[in-house]
Amino acid sequence: MTAEPLRTTDGAALRVETQPSLPGLGGLYARGAAASGRIAAGRALPSLPIIGTGRTASDRPADHAAGGDLLTLPDVAYRVPGVTTADLARHLHEYQRLLHEPVGDVLPAGYLHVLVFPLATAVMVRGDFPLPLLGMVHLRNVVELRGPVRLGDVLEVRAWAENLRAHRRGVQVDLVTEIRPDDAKGNPDPLWRGVSTYLAKGFELPGSRSSTSGAGEVPRGYDSATAGTTSRGETWLPPLPTGRWALGPGTGRAYGAVSGDRNPIHLSALSAKAFGFPRAIAHGMYTAARALADVGHVRGDAYRWTVEFAKPVLLPGTVDMAITPETDGFAYVGWNARRHRQHFSGAVTPL
Amino acid sequence: MATRQKTSAAADRQGVRDAVVVGGNRVPFSRAGKKYADASNQEMFTAALEGLVARFGLQGERLGEAVGGAVLKHSRDFNLVRESVLGSSLSPATPAFDLQQACATGLEATINVANKIRLGQIESGVAGGSDTVSDAPIAVSEGLRRALLEVQHAKTWQARAKALAAIRPGDLKPLVPATDEPRTGLSMGEHQAITTARWGIAREAQDEIALASHQHLAAAWESGFFDDLVTPFRGLTRDDNLRADTSLEKLASLKPVFGRSLEAPATMTAGNSTPLTDGASTVLLGSREWAESHDLPVLARVVDAETAAVDFVHGHEGLLMAPVHAVPRLLARNGLTLDDIDFFEIHEAFASTVLTTLAAWEDADYGKNELGLPGAFGTVDRTKINVNGSSLAAGHPFAATGGRIVATAAKLVAQRAAETGEPARALISVCAAGGLGATAVVESV
Repeated sequence: MTAEPLRTTDGAALRVETQPSLPGLGGLYARGAAASGRIAAGRALPSLPIIGTGRTASDRPADHAAGGDLLTLPDVAYRVPGVTTADLARHLHEYQRLLHEPVGDVLPAGYLHVLVFPLATAVMVRGDFPLPLLGMVHLRNVVELRGPVRLGDVLEVRAWAENLRAHRRGVQVDLVTEIRPDDAKGNPDPLWRGVSTYLAKGFELPGSRSSTSGAGEVPRGYDSATAGTTSRGETWLPPLPTGRWALGPGTGRAYGAVSGDRNPIHLSALSAKAFGFPRAIAHGMYTAARALADVGHVRGDAYRWTVEFAKPVLLPGTVDMAITPETDGFAYVGWNARRHRQHFSGAVTPL
Repeated sequence: MATRQKTSAAADRQGVRDAVVVGGNRVPFSRAGKKYADASNQEMFTAALEGLVARFGLQGERLGEAVGGAVLKHSRDFNLVRESVLGSSLSPATPAFDLQQACATGLEATINVANKIRLGQIESGVAGGSDTVSDAPIAVSEGLRRALLEVQHAKTWQARAKALAAIRPGDLKPLVPATDEPRTGLSMGEHQAITTARWGIAREAQDEIALASHQHLAAAWESGFFDDLVTPFRGLTRDDNLRADTSLEKLASLKPVFGRSLEAPATMTAGNSTPLTDGASTVLLGSREWAESHDLPVLARVVDAETAAVDFVHGHEGLLMAPVHAVPRLLARNGLTLDDIDFFEIHEAFASTVLTTLAAWEDADYGKNELGLPGAFGTVDRTKINVNGSSLAAGHPFAATGGRIVATAAKLVAQRAAETGEPARALISVCAAGGLGATAVVESV
């Protein structure tokens, strides 16, 4: 392959490691759980230098300035060329039925996320990735699709982590994934680009304690203390709904089966309780992809699709949602009508 | 340009002959789970049809076409209308087909038959519809359905066993048909509650519409208006949802059932919403010549019809607001205004459907932005609306409502014209699931 220089959004150089194929998610979760355990062990036993790649705020005194490079992201981008889609028809159609997308041969942006998610996960389970995969909170997701991807297209997929930064409740990081047609044209611009922002709670960036307030980084209503209010403290009044989702107890298992994302917080009340949730919660990307499907054909073949996650959707549960036409596309918001709490909000903007 | 099109459309229609309404026949409508609990769509539609045949002496007659449908329909009823024709004393040489446009099915069937008559393709026809909530088809879950289909397609017993093994206990739960909109997950009542909130329609105004519906329908039954429009069925002689003795106090005592999770106060109750109902209706149409040669009366002619649809999925418009868009187009095309209409038959899916329709027509901004008019479409004289009651009192067996309204409207204009010697017109407006609406104008002859 031609090792073109690859850089993060803020210009840091990345070493490209070419992988033979997209990894399977099942094995990654096992590795992710092991890595999470190792990082958790590091948090519990900070004196063990080799495994202490992450630190909770409480582990260290505030004036502990040493080890400014303790939390660093791997300077590696994974690349997988020659990803074929011709044999995905059945899987694609299962996804489309589950997400209420029209069944056809065009891969919706949410399906492309499912397709490349294992590669992003592979970055997150690397030994030198500083945050634990399990327990990370998906804060927001931004996807730009520049044109239709169809069954049969051969794709090149890239994934890396960047922009490690402070969050009021920990550390957040962007996982960037890109899809290009693998047609030897050396396409400089991706056909699809996704940026998933995750929060690792309780972690701290060295020397950034004072700057961790970052109110703008907190999705509205994310914190349980401010849920139901805007960032200015006003009570949030839900709009008139345009739809209502009745999500059954198996919603997380169904999306887990199609997406491969079998994070235990989505699968059952029991496995979710282990991570501090009273019941299983819906995948954030399931709710965002349902909203994208609800917007429907008017989004066109090229669009920007964003979502900010607030309170998780407990399963089973009912989500009221509203799609609002805007001058350049559609805004959407989903909420719990009884508690007046937002679950997610975002926009679909034709490009 | 618009004027030219209008003129040309009007000129084109001058060469088209009239389709006239001869009469109608329906079974009394019954609340779900009561008198018609074990009556199928086909039994009800056949009964309504057979009553029509008896009323107009059509035994052995070959009609041009019979058209109708059911909204909640079992797959075994694929030829519901044809099977009903074969079970009636009409000539078995009467062709038939099923159509379905949710609650507008009956009116759409009437429009279809009238258009064929106007084009000279047929001389006569029956339009109608039937629906039963009591005898509704029940489906199996998607998981069970797919597994059973796979068993059918499997060639070996191993493959069959594998397909059967895929069935999960949860798959065995039957699926009862719901009135939820497939794309939004909101029931029709919830959708209308949103529209009601958007237009700020008060509870009292809705209860007044409901009260008027019951009082008007009761008076119409008392006066014998329905004597030649209804045939008793299964021991029922009148619509059993009718509450002649209801009052504003009684209606006010009911708890809201829709819109309870909205910020606006919930106003829609079981009293100002239509109940689930069983029933069937038919309308007999023909050319003037056919009616004359068969010595049949003529109540009205079908002037024109217009359907509309709205984008409710993206919250742009209310689910049941399509007729609001259809009527201005329909009247403009025929050079009519609201003042030219003597009777407004606005289907009462909910009392607030009538009120949001009127409110939208009276709103200048809405007229400009949504209807493309210079200002408000206009105001309807409330005393002309649903003068013999409508769905809130009679009930609303989805596909049967259109036939009930067409027969009522045709008889109303015929009576008025006979009284005054002046032509009379009725506007029919039926909203339907899927953001659909069908409207039509009938006129005395």
